[in-house]
Amino acid sequence: MNRLITAQRLAPVLVTWGIQQSVAHQFEIEAKRDGAKVIEAEHMLLALTASSDGDAAKLLHEAGLDHERLASALQDERRRTLAFAGMTAPDKLVPATEAESPLSFGTSAKAAFKRALIGARHERHRAHLRGTDLLAGILEAELGTVPRALAIAGIDRVALALRVRGVN
Amino acid sequence: MPISPSPLDGPADGLAAASVLRAMADELEDAEVERAMRAGWSWSQVAEALGVTRQAVHKKHLRRLLLAQIELRRRIGE
Repeated sequence: MNRLITAQRLAPVLVTWGIQQSVAHQFEIEAKRDGAKVIEAEHMLLALTASSDGDAAKLLHEAGLDHERLASALQDERRRTLAFAGMTAPDKLVPATEAESPLSFGTSAKAAFKRALIGARHERHRAHLRGTDLLAGILEAELGTVPRALAIAGIDRVALALRVRGVN
Repeated sequence: MPISPSPLDGPADGLAAASVLRAMADELEDAEVERAMRAGWSWSQVAEALGVTRQAVHKKHLRRLLLAQIELRRRIGE
């Protein structure tokens, strides 16, 4: 997956996984709201929690991980991380003009896609990936922003990841 | 056997901090270069204040500043 693959370009593929176009669009909205230059795993997870239908959304709701709780956990994670460096979260900077509108995927998002594909490969009869595969790919990261935020929120990430894979 | 480090303790906090600070430094540079150019600074002045070459600032920020429709003091490429 190279840098030129944007959420917009990937959206038709994601639709075949049962991920609605609006959710793929939401990846980018979440990344921009965060002031990020690329879409990372946490932005995809935020988008999935914001969605109201699909197996992935259902599993997230069952685990009590809604958009508000995740956003607040990500904020807490940011605060803890900055505190390590002796800093507090700065006030919003003067926003800079963005260079490119369609955002591409960052390393953690690409890794999530890769894990989604690898995990789904066991079931050869399946024609397509599913939204739950992507959710599993996001949850299976052991280090980085998403597992940090989930640990802070008190979510059992490993158990949730296993449950998500079980649905596949 | 590889260890399974906790995502929250020890080096994980420090590495996360390094990553967040890098992103924040980029964000701050984008915002302040734009602010300086809007205020009429030249590429050379911005470069000197950042401690990098003019070519480096130009390469990194020109496209974005053109998009922002900032009236650049020097001709492009100069």
